[in-house]
Amino acid sequence: MVARHKLFKSMKLDAQLDDDDVLSDGGEEYTSPEHQALLNDGLDRIRELIGSADVSGLSDDQISDVLWNCHFDIEETTQWALEEQEKIHQAQERKAAREREKAQKLLVQKQLAEAKSASSSRAASPMGNLARGGKKGTPAKKVTPSVNLDQRQLDLSGLNLTNNEPTRVEEAPKVNFAQDKLLEEVRKSMESQGEKGKQRLSLVVIGHVDAGKSTLMGRLLYELGRMDERTRTANERNSVKAGKSSFSWAWGLDGTAEERERGITMDVALQSFSTTQRQITVLDAPGHKEFIPNMISGASQADCALLVVDASTGEFEAGFDRGGQTREHLILARSLGVAQVIVAINKLDQVQWEKDRYDDICALLRPFLIQSGFHPSKTKFLPVGAMLGVNLATCEGDDAKQLLQWYKGPTLVDLLDKLEPPSRDIAAPVRIPISNIFKGQGSGTSVAGRLLSGVVQVGERLRILPGDETAVVKSIEVEEENVPWAMAGSNLTLALVSVDSIQLTIGSVLCPPADPVPLASNFTARIIIFDVQVPIISGAMVELFHHSRDVPATISKLIATLDRTSGKVVKSNPRVVAKASSAEVQITLRSVGSSVRPIPLEPYAVNKAMGRILIRREGETIAAGVVMEILG
Amino acid sequence: MKLVNKHIDKHGTGHVTIRPEDDEDMWHLYNLIQEGDSVRAPAIRRVQKVSSTGSVDSQRVKLNLTLKVTRVEFSSSTAASTTSPEDSSDPSSSATQQIPTAALHISGPVVVENQHVRLGAFHTLDIEVQRDVRIEKFEGWDSIAISRVEESIIPGKGAEVAALVCGEGTVAFCLLSQHMTVVTHRLAFSIPRKSGSSSGATQHEKGLTKFYGALFDAFIRHVPYANVGLKAIVIASPGWVRDAVYDYMVGEASRRGIRDKVVKVHISSPHVHSLVEVLKSPEIVAQLKETKFAREGIVLDKFFKMLGTDEMRAWYGPDHVVLAADRGAIGTLLISDELFRASNPVIRKKYVGLVEAVQQKGGEVVIFSSMHESGQQLNQLTGLAAILTFPLDIEIVEAEEKEEAERIRLATEAELDVG
Repeated sequence: MVARHKLFKSMKLDAQLDDDDVLSDGGEEYTSPEHQALLNDGLDRIRELIGSADVSGLSDDQISDVLWNCHFDIEETTQWALEEQEKIHQAQERKAAREREKAQKLLVQKQLAEAKSASSSRAASPMGNLARGGKKGTPAKKVTPSVNLDQRQLDLSGLNLTNNEPTRVEEAPKVNFAQDKLLEEVRKSMESQGEKGKQRLSLVVIGHVDAGKSTLMGRLLYELGRMDERTRTANERNSVKAGKSSFSWAWGLDGTAEERERGITMDVALQSFSTTQRQITVLDAPGHKEFIPNMISGASQADCALLVVDASTGEFEAGFDRGGQTREHLILARSLGVAQVIVAINKLDQVQWEKDRYDDICALLRPFLIQSGFHPSKTKFLPVGAMLGVNLATCEGDDAKQLLQWYKGPTLVDLLDKLEPPSRDIAAPVRIPISNIFKGQGSGTSVAGRLLSGVVQVGERLRILPGDETAVVKSIEVEEENVPWAMAGSNLTLALVSVDSIQLTIGSVLCPPADPVPLASNFTARIIIFDVQVPIISGAMVELFHHSRDVPATISKLIATLDRTSGKVVKSNPRVVAKASSAEVQITLRSVGSSVRPIPLEPYAVNKAMGRILIRREGETIAAGVVMEILG
Repeated sequence: MKLVNKHIDKHGTGHVTIRPEDDEDMWHLYNLIQEGDSVRAPAIRRVQKVSSTGSVDSQRVKLNLTLKVTRVEFSSSTAASTTSPEDSSDPSSSATQQIPTAALHISGPVVVENQHVRLGAFHTLDIEVQRDVRIEKFEGWDSIAISRVEESIIPGKGAEVAALVCGEGTVAFCLLSQHMTVVTHRLAFSIPRKSGSSSGATQHEKGLTKFYGALFDAFIRHVPYANVGLKAIVIASPGWVRDAVYDYMVGEASRRGIRDKVVKVHISSPHVHSLVEVLKSPEIVAQLKETKFAREGIVLDKFFKMLGTDEMRAWYGPDHVVLAADRGAIGTLLISDELFRASNPVIRKKYVGLVEAVQQKGGEVVIFSSMHESGQQLNQLTGLAAILTFPLDIEIVEAEEKEEAERIRLATEAELDVG
């Protein structure tokens, strides 16, 4: 009876949680012998089904109580027992998740972890295992009442009355899969995706300023039904009102007031659409020289590139000459690991769809593309008229007549369909360089970025580097769709909880706490020097670009000049490194304010996408390279 | 800085008494005072006395102490100028009177006995403005030190240019004076970038407005815009941030003075080192032609340009530059003041000799202040560079040197043989 009284106390609170009122029957005074027999019989049979007290997490008293209330109906009681077990499971998982969180911060929760009883925790985290291991030693009798107590504690702590961080209201979502199971799942879905044929890839749109990148994308989005009629007419009306009717398509992507006013793209716009074969994320890069940092941020998130070239007289030449963005963008994209490019020769309508002009431009671009490192088999050319929508999704109608006289090739959508997504490294640790931070719906902070490697899932805890903070992934959004997990190569938006947004900066990298990215302030790199006017000497001040981050740095040492093709050392400790040569150099970050802030970097050999760097000086890209070794 | 007393004989021995007045004077003193010099300055020292009964009595005594310097420490901003509530209510008063923030500490043993302090006791002098400092050079006053004193006593007060180096969400407030660039304040805002949806655009704009507001507040607090000595307020940025910042400031500011002084300059990156680009820009060059820091920027730029066009006429590194000086090839010598701060007198003498040699041959010498961005860039290039009047191939010169050394060695050997 003493046990019953204990139960009574603990149940009083639980009663509100469990819908059935356990105590209303008031059968606590007296149990008749035949009832006792029925009770024992029922208890034995239920035990057979659900296991002993420490396995099931349910005590004899609890079961007999319910049995009594259900008038010894075994079926019903079993049902209840299984439900109850499920509840305990969930509670434990939630608890395990919270446990991990606490343990990482405090490392003093051993007692709690021991006291916590669990039948089996599906959370396969290290702390989950620890909790499971700890419980084995505890006697079953002691465990039983604490289950209920725990349940209560859990609910109470769910209200954050006991939590030492009172500001945190969101509950950390639980992890669904163990890491290896998740990988399996991802592989499975990749295979099925292969069958279905919609492979994901991201595409950066590059080209000289005013080549028509945004217009082309705006028109394409409209043709593919991604921009609704209302937005289009609104843009058209407003652009006419502003006296910029030619920008009406571009306004679909250029959202900010300043961009519209100036009529140029200033920052990368992210959009997505699907063709018959591919699910494509588009990053519309700014073409203006001033915004190359933004373009780098965009291009480092892309697999393929769409180069838009202005065919009108004089404009192509301006873009392709020294200092033109056609040239620089191509080199930048290639240096950032983009290997496939589609060249869209735009504005051919302004030169009366002349075949000669098209051929001339192709002939000029081809050798340059090869020289920049694009394989001829991975470069495609096509003529388009973005404004009129010629040869984007279709090549028909009055506007296309002149083109159809000599062009029989594929349309832009046809070419996009044939783009090959590169291989994704899903087994590597998670790396997400943050490219944007904004307030999401509800509480918490949302970050956008590209998952360079690995697989991320809801409920996962991620470390923010540089810094000592971690955050929990509340939800993952890929192309405006909520997904339980995402794999390498996705451009995702993560809603993060249990983190102060002040800890997040654009350029930070999210990674697993167990496998952090090394922080570097001094490293060696192999670089290729572009066409620079002032040669590089040791001590040269540069800006180092890595994903969305740029930091001031110094080329502190010229280690050797290398042969461009073989990579052999030509001269060690050179005094200067001239243009169009290759070299191994040491790069040191400069202090900002009083201290040097290291940035997350990885050698190219470890993680390709994390090991690519660009070096700029005075608004000019002077070199691109890969990180060899991190010195400190 | 005011020169109170100067007594230097033709051999360079003697002393100078000067009175520092602002932050920049501290920087001058830091460059002037070297290890081994004796410095006399007012100090407050806690003196303990043990009476005949054994009770200890300690009191603070204000006295003049003469130290033999063992260490000089300089920090450009000790305490970020804390503005009191009264100041913020009347911004113009705080803006006109900048509180000196630079600090100079000189430590060493006391060399002149005093009734309170025995000989050899250590003390650290905290140099203050408006307190006379007497310096006696251990190695005598060389041409560099004398010119430094002369330079420092030219009137012309405080910051001459204020520069706001902006990016989208970042700004560094810099005050440039003849010899110093001080970053008085930095702001870094995380501004949500535009996204496809319209809500993203408004978040972006909200972030920007917040940033401009914070920028303007910081501007009022950290830039002495009402100071008559301030020649220009430079707003520099890549893109069009400077226009937006300017428009916001003009919209907020009631004083017309700001608008007249503002110069908008394009730079390629939002980092402080882009100040070099600011100083090169035609808008600034025209306005500040005669100032030292503008000159430094121009000369450094010339050096880099030379490096690009004719590598044989742009040399850097102490060894190479000395070789070039030996051949009388130096047209312009770029040297960092850091080199003159060398604690080893032999090294300092070497550089002083180099400067004098170049000057004698009619070359131009530009001593860079390492408190300026251009000086820091020069420091990265070993602190010593030269633009030559005629091309010289380093490898040939080095071979010549080797030959010469060999010849001398042989000659001495031969001499020894004869002997």
